[in-house]
Amino acid sequence: MIITEMPEPVLDKIIEFSDFKAVLTLRQVCRDFLNFIDDLNDSKLPDSKLLTFGIRSDYTENNVIVCFMGPDDSFYRFVYSEVEKSRSFNGKTTNLKDEDIVDVAIRDLERILKFQKSTFQWSCFNIHQLFRRPKFPNLEVKLSNMFRKLNRKIKTEILDIMAYSQVGFMSILPFVDPETLKRLRLFSMNKTVRIEMNEIAETEQWKNAKSIYCYFYALKVTVDDICHFSNVFIKMLYISARVLDFLRETITSCSNIDFSRFKFEIPNENEEMSNLWGHAFITAYLGFTNYSWYFRMKNSKEKILLAEIRPTRTKTNICFENIESREVPNGAIVHDFKGNTILLW
Amino acid sequence: MSSTEQGTSSAAPAEPTTAPESAAAPEVPESFYYVHGKDKVVHKVSAGALQHSALIHGMISNLGYTEEQAKANPFPFENIDGDILQMVVDWCNQHKGKPTPPEDTNLPKQKEKLFDLVLAVNYLEIKELLTYCCKQVAMMVKGKSPEEIREIWMIPTDAEDEAAEKEAKKRAGKEAAGETAAAAGDAK
Repeated sequence: MIITEMPEPVLDKIIEFSDFKAVLTLRQVCRDFLNFIDDLNDSKLPDSKLLTFGIRSDYTENNVIVCFMGPDDSFYRFVYSEVEKSRSFNGKTTNLKDEDIVDVAIRDLERILKFQKSTFQWSCFNIHQLFRRPKFPNLEVKLSNMFRKLNRKIKTEILDIMAYSQVGFMSILPFVDPETLKRLRLFSMNKTVRIEMNEIAETEQWKNAKSIYCYFYALKVTVDDICHFSNVFIKMLYISARVLDFLRETITSCSNIDFSRFKFEIPNENEEMSNLWGHAFITAYLGFTNYSWYFRMKNSKEKILLAEIRPTRTKTNICFENIESREVPNGAIVHDFKGNTILLW
Repeated sequence: MSSTEQGTSSAAPAEPTTAPESAAAPEVPESFYYVHGKDKVVHKVSAGALQHSALIHGMISNLGYTEEQAKANPFPFENIDGDILQMVVDWCNQHKGKPTPPEDTNLPKQKEKLFDLVLAVNYLEIKELLTYCCKQVAMMVKGKSPEEIREIWMIPTDAEDEAAEKEAKKRAGKEAAGETAAAAGDAK
């Protein structure tokens, strides 16, 4: 009796009791196993329980790299080389002949993602490429197509995407499970690039996440788009005093807001801001002046909103932070949430 | 040992079982059924033990045999080797009315025997035992390379498989040609 001739329910059960590495090995045993495993419904495959996942297009080396980390600190790294036309994994190099390396990388990725039922702690899509001469021009489109075919949202707590346009971010973001996503971090290789965010801010993933980090100049983001986050870091070209006061009022007066820290970076110093909420508590840090204001939060005696403006030579950091009342320095004035001031010490 | 236990365990297959009169609480006497495999050796098994097999349990429910009818008509499992059926019967007896443990370490280690047991258990629809067997089959190759798996499970490579298939086709072709020639000869 050859095992591949066993009845289907038996083979299903054997697969069920194998770990995902064993099932991937079984695919290589013979064509019958390969066909059987590839035709299996995803629900019958064992959970790969991978913790992290990353795909990176390395345009300097002409490589696409796919990495995974397993629960037992096992690390899997696949390198697809355009120059060598090869795939390297675990010390073994396979010649890909005339195959497109992006196609092979995405096919391998799909094969592994089929096993993943657990939530990734962290997923990273570094698909940033040089805008004028993209090395792998179809990578984003092919990733989107693969996710569409997989027909299952990727569950991850932290999602990092490095892209050069809203389209690039949108090729990944909608395929991530909005229920599990907690922290969204968007990067661009060039930190001065300006990217419109209106479509991104409309997604369920953006609306459900707890934290957002934008390491480039974000355009078309409104206060309403960010109020639900507990942590924000966004680079902006400009932010008006009116918007900042509106944010201050929203944070202090909203009782159910799960606020922790909002930080904005604008490219130049704004003189007006040093008097934004009247006389500021001034401190010096590394030769620069910090302007701080303290506000009482509605429905909380312990919590204080710290609003801080820190101009440097090239940029201004604006920060709203949730602090304890004991952290307010001596001599600082705490304003109540309606705008009246209370002397704390 | 209680009189009830003595009554069931010492009963010879040919003797009708009777409820012991001395039992404190009257219990429904356990009914027995009979099965045999390829070797025709008949095994007497209690209905309680046979409950593990969804197939046999279904047969019993549908047939509504009396004790005599059951004895006269053992369930035939011609596709199961005698020693494998014995293993299955022993397992059912050992786990009669008990919750099944998370693991079973008494399964055959030899690949052929284990595979035959898997087939028999799958046929007889014994869910728990099938789970143990499949787990053991999966464990045989855990952490092994494709080459080692081929060796352990005796799977031919695709090339060997194709060659064997070609050879079989060739042989079948020759046999068919021989038969056609013989048939033509007969017709003449």
